[in-house]
Amino acid sequence: MAIDRRLLFNIDWGMMAAVLLLLGIGVATILSATYSGRNSGLEVKQVYWILIGLVALLACVSVDYRRLVDHAPLLYLASVPVLAYVLFLGPRIAGTRRWVVMGPMQIQPSEFVKLVAALFVAKIFAESKKDSLGIRDILGPGAAVGVLAALIAAEPDLGTAFTLVPLFVTGAVLAGLRLKAVLVLVAVGLVVGGAGWEFVLKDYQKTRIYSFLDPSLDPRGAGYQKIQSEIAVGSGGLAGRGYKQGTQAQLGYLPARHTDFIFSVLAEENGFVGVVVVLGLYLFILWRAMDTAQMARDRAGAFLAAGVATVLAFQVVYNIAMVAGLVPVKGLPLPLMSYGGSSIISSLLAVGLILNVRMRRFAN
Amino acid sequence: MRIYEDLRSLQSRLSVIKTVVVGALALVVVYFWHLQVVRGKYFRELAENNRIRSVPIPAPRGPIFDRNGRVLVENRSSFNVVLSAEPHANLDAELERVGRLIEVDEDQVRERIEGQGPRFKSVVVKADASEEDVAIVESRRLEEPEVGVEVVPLRAYPLTTEAAHALGRVGEITDRQLASAPFVGIEPGTVVGQAGIELQYNRALMGKDGVRRVIVNSRGVEVAEAQQEPPAPGLPATVTIDVELQRAMDEAMGGRPGSAVALDPHTGEILALTSNTAYDPNLFSSSISPAVWQALIKDPETPLMNRVIQGQYAPGSSFKVVMALAALDSGVITPNTRFHCPGYLNIYGKTFLCHKKEGHGTLNMIQALAQSCNVYFYNVGVRLEIERISKYANILGLNAPSGIDLPYEASGLIPSPEWKMRTQKVQWFPGETVSVSIGQGGVTVTAIQMARLAAAIGNGGRLVQPHLIKTLKAAPVEFKAPVDLGLKLSTIAAVKEGMAAVVAPGGTGWRAQLPGIRVAGKTGSAQVVTHARLETDKKSHMYQPHGWFLCFAPVENPRIAMAVMVEHGTAGGQSAAPIAGQILAHFFGVPPPPATTIPPPTPVLTGKPGPRPAPVPRPADE
Repeated sequence: MAIDRRLLFNIDWGMMAAVLLLLGIGVATILSATYSGRNSGLEVKQVYWILIGLVALLACVSVDYRRLVDHAPLLYLASVPVLAYVLFLGPRIAGTRRWVVMGPMQIQPSEFVKLVAALFVAKIFAESKKDSLGIRDILGPGAAVGVLAALIAAEPDLGTAFTLVPLFVTGAVLAGLRLKAVLVLVAVGLVVGGAGWEFVLKDYQKTRIYSFLDPSLDPRGAGYQKIQSEIAVGSGGLAGRGYKQGTQAQLGYLPARHTDFIFSVLAEENGFVGVVVVLGLYLFILWRAMDTAQMARDRAGAFLAAGVATVLAFQVVYNIAMVAGLVPVKGLPLPLMSYGGSSIISSLLAVGLILNVRMRRFAN
Repeated sequence: MRIYEDLRSLQSRLSVIKTVVVGALALVVVYFWHLQVVRGKYFRELAENNRIRSVPIPAPRGPIFDRNGRVLVENRSSFNVVLSAEPHANLDAELERVGRLIEVDEDQVRERIEGQGPRFKSVVVKADASEEDVAIVESRRLEEPEVGVEVVPLRAYPLTTEAAHALGRVGEITDRQLASAPFVGIEPGTVVGQAGIELQYNRALMGKDGVRRVIVNSRGVEVAEAQQEPPAPGLPATVTIDVELQRAMDEAMGGRPGSAVALDPHTGEILALTSNTAYDPNLFSSSISPAVWQALIKDPETPLMNRVIQGQYAPGSSFKVVMALAALDSGVITPNTRFHCPGYLNIYGKTFLCHKKEGHGTLNMIQALAQSCNVYFYNVGVRLEIERISKYANILGLNAPSGIDLPYEASGLIPSPEWKMRTQKVQWFPGETVSVSIGQGGVTVTAIQMARLAAAIGNGGRLVQPHLIKTLKAAPVEFKAPVDLGLKLSTIAAVKEGMAAVVAPGGTGWRAQLPGIRVAGKTGSAQVVTHARLETDKKSHMYQPHGWFLCFAPVENPRIAMAVMVEHGTAGGQSAAPIAGQILAHFFGVPPPPATTIPPPTPVLTGKPGPRPAPVPRPADE
C-alpha cells in the first residue's frame, strides 16, 4: 500500500530526528558497555535491529491507524494463544519463559503485546459513548487487559506486565472514569498487591524487593545490581568519566549493562550533562506524542497516541528511576536505547503508531 | 456515531497526563542531580574502592649467616597456585576446574577461605607448587583467568636438622601471636618466626612487605596494575655459630637423644648447639600438613623441644663442681682437706652409697673430683649445709634462665628449705642435703646452665651471658658484659686442677683426653630411678641414667666451654665424655685419641623387649 505524498509531508520529522538521535546514542553506549579490548559486535547487531525496526515503522505508518484500531480485537485474540504458547511450551531461558525461538532469533512476544493492548484499549474506550464511567463500566475491559497482564506476569515478566496497568488507567481516565472510581481502584490495587505479595511473588522477587529497601542486607546478591548501578551513576559526576572510561561499566561491575542498565553506563560516562540531554530527548518525544493525542482527528487516534505515549513514558521513567536506585529492579528495557531486537522493534512500532496518528490528523 | 466528535474534555484530561509525565521526568532529573553532582565525590570514591585492590608482596626475611659468613638460612622462590576470583560463590565449580589441571587438596583450600577475613586476598589453592604445575597453569591462562601463579619467598634451611633448634622455624602468624604485643601491627597471614632465632629476632629479620595496587574486574580478576611499592627485604643477620663445629657436634652426637652446647668462655658466644631428636625446619616453611604436625607433636622423642635450654635434668655428679666451688670459697675445706671413703656414709640414720662399693679410700678434693667420690662430697655437703649450697648454686647461674637469646628458656631448680616450705609446706630434712651434694634430690639444670658454669670456671670466675646473635641489620649486637662472681682465685685454680684431673688417666672423664691439649671436665650421671628400682628393672633402657659431661679447654686459657648430655646414656664418662672429646678434637684440629670410642646409640625401647644395652655395674660414675 503506497503512502500518500501529502501524508509523508505530515510526518513529524522533529520527533523522528529525536528518535534517531536516541537510537544513535544507544548504539554508541552499547559499543562502550560491551567493549573489552575489542568491539563485541553487539552494536552492529543493534544497528540491524534498528534497520528492521525502521522498516516495521514504515509499514506501520502506511496503514491507517483506524484500520489497526478496528482490528484490535482480532490482534488481541491472536495474542492470547501466542502468550500461552510462550508460557507453556516456550524454552526456559534463565529461569523464565519469555521467548519464541525462531532459528537464530529470539522474539519476546510481550514487547509486541503491549502495543496490541494499546490498540485494544483505544478501541474499547474510543467507542464508549458515556461522558463519565464508573467501576462497572471498566470491569469488562479491565478483565480483558488483565488476562494479557496475567499471562505476561506468569512468564514471569513483572515489568512488562505492570506496563499494562498505567496504559489501562490512562485509557479509563481519559474516557471519563470518575474520581471515586479511581480511588476504589487504588484501594483494590493495594489489596490485590498485598495478596500478590503473599501468594504470587516468587522468593527471588521478594528478595529483590527486600534488598531494594535495604541493599546492605545482601550486597553480593540481590542488592548488588542496585548498589553497583547507583555507584556508576553517582561516580559520573557532572561531566562524566569519559566515553569508554567508566570503571563500573568497563570492569564489569554493572549487571545487564547493555540491556536494562544501559542508562547507568550513559550516566557514568557522560555525567549529569549526558543524562539531561537524553532525558530532554525523551521528554521531547513524549511531549510530541501527547500533543499528537491532543490534536488527533478522532477519539481512536487520541486514545491510541495517549496509550502508546503512556507505555513509553512508564518504561522510560521506571527504567531510569531503577537505574538511579529509586525503584526495585525489574527486567524492563529502556525504549530505543537498550540492546535487544524485540525491544527496539516494538519501540519503533510504538513511534510509528504515534506518527501514524499525527500524520493523518487532517485526513478524512 | 457522531460526525464531529467532541474532543475537548479529552484534551483537557490529556493535559493532566502531560503534566504528570513532565513532573515525573523533572523529579528524576532532580534526583540525578543529587546523585551525580551533590554526592558525586562519594560515589567516585566507592567506584575506586570497587576496582582497586591492595595485594601484599611478601618481603623475604633476612638471611642468616654463621660467624664465618656461611649461609645457614636463606630464601627460595616458591610458586603458589592461587585463585583470585571473588566472590567465591561458585567455589565448587572453580575448584573442580582447577582440580582437573593439577592435584589440589580441596578441604585445605576451604579451610583457608574460612579463616580469611573479609579483606580481599587471593586464595592459595596449592602452596609450593611444582614446576610442572606452574607450567600447566600458565599454559591455561586464557581459559582460566582466575587461576594464577604467585611467586613467594620461602624460608630455606640448607642445613636441614643441623642447628635447627637454634635457628628455629617460621610459619603463618598464629591467633595467639596476633593478640600479643611483639606482633602488633602484623597482618594475619604473614609469615613470622615460630621458634629459635627466627622468633627471638622476628622483627629484625622481617622485611617490609610491599604492595601492589591492582585494578580488578567484577570477578576479582586482575586486569592491570595501578601502582607498586616494592617490598623491602629483611636485613641479614649473623649468628655466633660455627657451622663446621656444629657439623662436628652433630656427627659426634650421632643422633642420640640429648643435647650439646659449646660456647666461647670469655664472651658467651654459642659456637654450636645441638638438641636431639631434631626436626627439619623446612617442613614448616610452606604450610605444614596436619599429619606431619601431629606426628611431630606426638613423637615421644619430642623433636620440637630445645633440650639445651628446655630440658631440665638432674646434674648428678657434675654438680660436684658447684659443691667444690662453694666449699673452697666459703672456707669449709681446702684443696687438701681429706675424707675417707669406705664405699658408703652412715648419717642421719641412713646409709648413703658411693658408686664404688669397695670405697675410694682417703682422698683430697682434687682426687675426689677426679674419681667423682660421692662420700667425699656427702661430707662436704653436710659441712656446707643446704643454704650455702643453694646460695652458691644461684650465684653460679643455676636456678634461673641463663638469659640466652632464645625464647622459652627453662630455669632448672635448686631446692632450698625456703623453696620446700613454700611449695610443699614441709621442713627440710638434713638427709636431703646429702642427696643434693651429688646433684640429686630435686636438683635440675639445663645444658646451657652447665656450659655456662664450665665457662665461668674456665675464664677465672666470670659469668657470661650466652648468646647466639652476632650482628643484626649489619650492626653488632651488644650483650651484658661477663659478671665477676667474686670467687677467690685459689678456689678457681683448685677446681680447675680437679677438673683437669677428671680428664686425665685415672679420671672418670679420661675418654675426653686430647693429644697436646689439656682438657678440664666433670662427668655426671643423673639417676632416673632409685638404685633399687634400677637393679630390678635393668631391662628398660628408659631407666638408665642420663650421662653428663661439662668441660673447657685448654685448661690454662680456655677457648671453648661445653656441656654434653646424653639421655639414658648411662655414666657420663662412658657416654658424654667421648662425644665431647670428639667435638673438642675437631675444634682444636687434633686427631681424636684412639681411646675415644663412642658406644653405639642406645636402642629406642618403647615398652617392647629388645636388645639389652650393655650391662652397667653401677648406676653412678665409673
